[in-house]
Amino acid sequence: MKRRIGSIVLTVVLAVMLTACGAANTGTANTGSADAGSANTGTADTGTSATATPVASASEDNTAAEPVIVEVWSNNRHDETYMTEMVDAFNASHTDVQISYTIMTDDWQNSIQLAFQAGTAPDVITISASDGMKLNDYVTSGMFESLSDYIAADTAFQEVTEVYDHMYEGLNSIDDAIYWAANGVRSGTRIEYNTELVSVAGYTEIPDTLEGVVQLTKEVTALGDGVTYGVGFTSSGPFGRWLEGVGEMSGYTHRGYDYTTGTYDFSSWAPLLETAAQFYTDGSVLPGSETQGVDNSRALFAQGSFAVWGNASQEAGVFTEQFPTTFEWGVSELPTMSGEVAGALSITPNFGFTMLSSAEDKDAAWQIISYFSSEEFLKGYFEGGYSAPLSSYMAGKIDSSKVGRLADFAIQDYEDVYPSTPSVTVEGDEYPTVFWNVIMGNISAEDAIADLNTRYNDALARGLANGSCTRLVIEDFDPLHPSSGTCTYLSE
Amino acid sequence: MKENLNKALEKPGISVWQKVKKANNRGDFASVFMLAPAVILLIVVSVYPFIWVFRYVCYEYNGITSYFTGTHNLVRAFHDLTFWKSVVHTFEYAGLKIVFIIPFALLMAVFMKQKITGSELFRGIYFMPTIISAAISSMVFAFIFASYNGILNAVLRFAGLIDKNVNWLGDTKTAMWVVLIVAIWGGFGNYMIYFMSGLSSISDDVYESARIDGANGIQTFFRITLPLLSPMLKVILMLAITGAFKDYEAIMVLTQGGPNNRTQVMFLYIYQLIFGSQTGSSPQIGYATVLSLIASLIVGLVTAIYLFVSRKLDNVV
Repeated sequence: MKRRIGSIVLTVVLAVMLTACGAANTGTANTGSADAGSANTGTADTGTSATATPVASASEDNTAAEPVIVEVWSNNRHDETYMTEMVDAFNASHTDVQISYTIMTDDWQNSIQLAFQAGTAPDVITISASDGMKLNDYVTSGMFESLSDYIAADTAFQEVTEVYDHMYEGLNSIDDAIYWAANGVRSGTRIEYNTELVSVAGYTEIPDTLEGVVQLTKEVTALGDGVTYGVGFTSSGPFGRWLEGVGEMSGYTHRGYDYTTGTYDFSSWAPLLETAAQFYTDGSVLPGSETQGVDNSRALFAQGSFAVWGNASQEAGVFTEQFPTTFEWGVSELPTMSGEVAGALSITPNFGFTMLSSAEDKDAAWQIISYFSSEEFLKGYFEGGYSAPLSSYMAGKIDSSKVGRLADFAIQDYEDVYPSTPSVTVEGDEYPTVFWNVIMGNISAEDAIADLNTRYNDALARGLANGSCTRLVIEDFDPLHPSSGTCTYLSE
Repeated sequence: MKENLNKALEKPGISVWQKVKKANNRGDFASVFMLAPAVILLIVVSVYPFIWVFRYVCYEYNGITSYFTGTHNLVRAFHDLTFWKSVVHTFEYAGLKIVFIIPFALLMAVFMKQKITGSELFRGIYFMPTIISAAISSMVFAFIFASYNGILNAVLRFAGLIDKNVNWLGDTKTAMWVVLIVAIWGGFGNYMIYFMSGLSSISDDVYESARIDGANGIQTFFRITLPLLSPMLKVILMLAITGAFKDYEAIMVLTQGGPNNRTQVMFLYIYQLIFGSQTGSSPQIGYATVLSLIASLIVGLVTAIYLFVSRKLDNVV
């Protein structure tokens, strides 16, 4: 009998322990309640790194009003030092509102969605066009809060961000409602090249046609004797790194979408794919580089294994700090198919902040967003080379001599933000994967394009039928100035 | 009414309280309490998610919003060439893995059973891949098989066996073999331990009798070891089959299912649909749900066929 009672007690104790282990973090970070401090610890315990925590605590001054804690999540690791410093500075100078700043780089979208569904979402998150977060989905589901009223009342914010000049339908705004304002911009892709390898092959600059680049890489490879090669790629989005930019500048359909007809048509891409396939048929590609992660390929470029690499302005920091090169590296504008620029190169608005609808103290959350978009904050951010300014106001405020190699990635006249293409769910491989298979010689360009046209237009038709997307038509679409057209959204 | 209920509950002459007391004496309540945590956990982390996925069979769901699509996901599944190719690749991968790993693990277990100097050290070494994270070991193999500066190509070139670096992971002809080598390396130690446990249950007297009767090593293996190990072998094979069909972690790190979907297996394809691909495609949770149900049926069917065949073989043998 005693053993039985003992076993029951043991079972109950184990059950209680299990329950205790899984206890939810009930401390609400944004209410300013007495357990706010423990809530911050709880966030760090989830495996993310809390890089800055509020300095105020309930025990310091029982008589003073409790500070409101605004929980901010970021998916940027590269600016950690600056962000931590500025968050600490804010927390030290404010007693009413405090920032709890957490960096979470892995599985970003899923983390936000799960936290929102579980009621543990932050109040403010960083957002960039490159995050791939489809604004319409987040707005439809009620996750994002419109910032329009706050922006309308904050003239300093308007002046610094020039937000009304940088409203991109489906990207940071829907109809007249603004959900985030981009502070920075990532340039379109460029070619980064090893000047020594290129000059040995008799070139002083990168040719202005893709065919010329193919020839250059062939010659570098021929002189490399199996040790150095002409060009290198990566397994992580190899097509989008720079070849897609060549197509855009050649006037091809952006992401295969024909804005004038509101349909998908990848036909124009065939010549580019066939030309790029020559990299492989000529043997100019660093063997196996397309199976390497992006950092591995960067490291191989930095050690001089191949001459031509392509990526956007983030490489300024990569090849000066992360993987410093042992040789002089140059930055060149992308080639086109004809040598003439016939379309805009896509640029990516970044470093914005959005408010989640679950934020309990929205005024405090806006105060933090406003702080992150203040001149005081952004000047140091851009001069630190963490991003380039989007607004002409901030571009005029920063000392460009301090930005280092980022100066080589200055935004060009032909760079613009494309309106978001319809948010379709494609069955089977998406076009970057299919295009890469063409370049690798696995399928023909003709078959691939016919298949893509069918699948993407079917997906669009399905999306229109079930209401998950709209057809965007821009009758006055100008490939060189895609953001200036008049957008019409059709439900069929 | 109440009286009727009491009558229904009570056996003639036994009150409800007596029934409770009797159950308590039998230890029923203790059993229920002890089973409760495990059952609750099973329901929460296994049964509930399984039922949860059914909700999205008829929806296009990206983790945020869902749209009703009727039977479209099911129709799509039957026309999805990438998925059915991944099913073929899964059978190829699982078949080859089992064909190599089981005899190899058995052979090593028999060797390890011998009293050879250092066998305990080797046993630990061979088992080590089982406790190393698949992601980490796969990363190491990615360096070994790297085309440009990989160790394997360097060794083969040094030995004069190849003139040109082989693109092990990027070539459709070699990628599946590389994935298999990594899978065999990572799994055979585990099966070896299972076999060793089976071998330890065979009495030394049987071997001694065989030796006295003049049986050599090969005869002993086929006439004594293998038949006496067959019950264990059956379980190990079943574990190996279900395990091999569900493998995808190492493939995800090594090739991400490439090149050109050559190493794409069922559960990796489903994973990519649920979490979205690197190219920024949206999660397709509804469709992935349908595929995971089909994949579960396939694995279940294969296991059932194996059990049926092995039972028939038992009767024959």
